[in-house]
Parts: sequence; structure tokens; C-alpha cells
Amino acid sequence: MKIIVSISFLVVLGLFFFATQVPITLTSDEISKAVSEASSEFPAADEELLERALELSVAKLEKGQSTRLKYLAAAYFVIWLVFMLYVLRLGQQQQVLDKRLAQLEQTSDDSPSTPDTE
Amino acid sequence: MKIIAIITAVLVFVSLYLVFGYARIEGTMLEVQKIFYYHVSAALTVFVAFGVNCVFSIKYLIQRKPNDDLLAVAAAELGLIFCTIALLSGPIWARYAWNTWWNWEPRLTSTLILWLMYVGYFILRSALEEDKRRIYSAVLGIIAYIDVPIVYYAVDIWQGGLHPDRGTKWSLETTMRHTWMVALLAFIMLFTLLLIVRYRMKKTQERYEILRQKHLAEAS
Repeated sequence: MKIIVSISFLVVLGLFFFATQVPITLTSDEISKAVSEASSEFPAADEELLERALELSVAKLEKGQSTRLKYLAAAYFVIWLVFMLYVLRLGQQQQVLDKRLAQLEQTSDDSPSTPDTE
Repeated sequence: MKIIAIITAVLVFVSLYLVFGYARIEGTMLEVQKIFYYHVSAALTVFVAFGVNCVFSIKYLIQRKPNDDLLAVAAAELGLIFCTIALLSGPIWARYAWNTWWNWEPRLTSTLILWLMYVGYFILRSALEEDKRRIYSAVLGIIAYIDVPIVYYAVDIWQGGLHPDRGTKWSLETTMRHTWMVALLAFIMLFTLLLIVRYRMKKTQERYEILRQKHLAEAS
């Protein structure tokens, strides 16, 4: 039981991280291409300034997305943690109960005054 | 039970896929809005769980069958778990959306009161003796359920809260609505599965107690 719960938890966590890893990545080639497109439309624009503005915008977007993903990951982590702890507790209680029942049955069998119920 | 377990597992994995791979990213809160799918589903499952508790509490008071009490207490326990999930995931979302972890606004406050009432339900059960425990906790279960419609209609009763209107979830964009419906179904199935597991455990526990008492009586 514990193994199944732990594995499923790890699978869900892995799936989650796999699914949420969508970084905003712009390569330097893509930035240069965007800058040359913009400067062809506006020949008077400063290419260096445009490139810097673009880089700053991407960095800001990345930072914002990283923050949002942290909140998202934290919320889903808490949800799965509560479920996992609850299911593990259930498993533990069941084990204790099974053990106690087995002990009780054994003492009943050992006792000569107790009739055999089987 | 195996069928329910399989359906639940499939629904949970499908809902996860839909949340992260299918549902459109909302325009205002972007990725953070994806907390909605499990947060709201957990909150609605709380209503179902406490509803089951209320129905079986009434049934117990009428028929006095111990099994009804066992089902009621199992449902209350699960309701408390789902309520904890809603109360823990909500502030994380709120921190981003409202820039605060907690706000004493109507829905949040009434949900916290609901959670506290069912914590009280279990404190009461642990404090009373066998014969009184069932009757008193059944009465408390029925009284505590009065808070459920208050939580649900809190945004209408007290205007100006931070939670959106009740109808917002039904006017979602199609992919978002589909995803939320599957997530809600997954949560309800998970509740059903855990309810059966918990009920069976409670029954075994009770059988053990009866056997133990019998054994002690024979030994003496």
C-alpha cells in the first residue's frame, strides 16, 4: 500500500513538473531576427536599444512565469500531500487492526474454554 | 470496489492531463488559475461529503442502525480532509490573486467555521461514551450541515466579498469547463472510493471491539 501510494505520488509529481515546464526561451538568433524585422519597419530605430528592450521584456516574462509556476506547484503539492498522508494513515490503521484481530483470534484459539468457531 | 478504484485512478490522471495539457491558460491570472480545477472541486466535494453525513445522521436518529452512524462518521472524516485541502490550496491562490494569504471575507470565514464545526464533531465523539456518542454526534452533524448552504450562498448573502459570483464556473471557456467537470467527477469518485474504504475499516474496527469485549467477558 505504502509503495503504491508513494509511487503514484512521485508519478503525479513528475507529470506535474513535466507538464509545467514551459519556459519562455528566445534564442539570440530569434532576438536578432525580431530586431532586424522591427528595424526594417522603422529604419530610424536604434538596433542595440531594440535588442536590449527585447531581452528585458523576455526576462520580465520569464520571472513572472516562474513566480506563477511556483504558486501552482505549491498548491498542487499541498493537495497531493494531504491525500498521501491520509491514505498512508489509513494503511497504517488497517495494519494495526489486522494485527490486533490476528492476536485476538490466536488467543481465542489458545484458550481451552473458547469454542471453535471455524 | 476494484472498478471504482480503476475509474478513480483513470479520472485523476485524465484530469491532470486536462489541467496541464488541454485547458486554455486564463488571460488574467495565467498559469495560477489552474489551481481552480482542484480547489473548487475539493470545495464542492466537501458539500457532498457533509451532505452524506447529514443524511445518514438523520437516518441513524430515525432507525438507530449502527451502520448509518459508521457511514456518517466516515463521510464527516472525508469532508474534513477535502475541506482542509480547499482551505490550504485557497490561500496559495489568494496570495497571488489578492496579494494576501487570508482575508476575513464571507466565503472564507464561513468555510473556516464549517471546518471548525466538524473538528468539534470529532472532539465530541472522542469525549462521549458509546451510547451517547452516536446520538449526540448525529445531532451535531445535522446542525453543522446548516453552514453548507451559508458557505455556498455567502457571495450572494454578503455582497462585496473577494470570491467571484457562483455562476462564474459555468460561464468558463469550453476547454476550462470540460477540465473542471472531469476534475470534479474525479474528486467525487475519489470521495466515494475512500468512503467505502473508511466504512469497511470502521466496520472491522467495530467487529474487533465486539470480539474483544466478548473475549474479555469469557476470560473473566
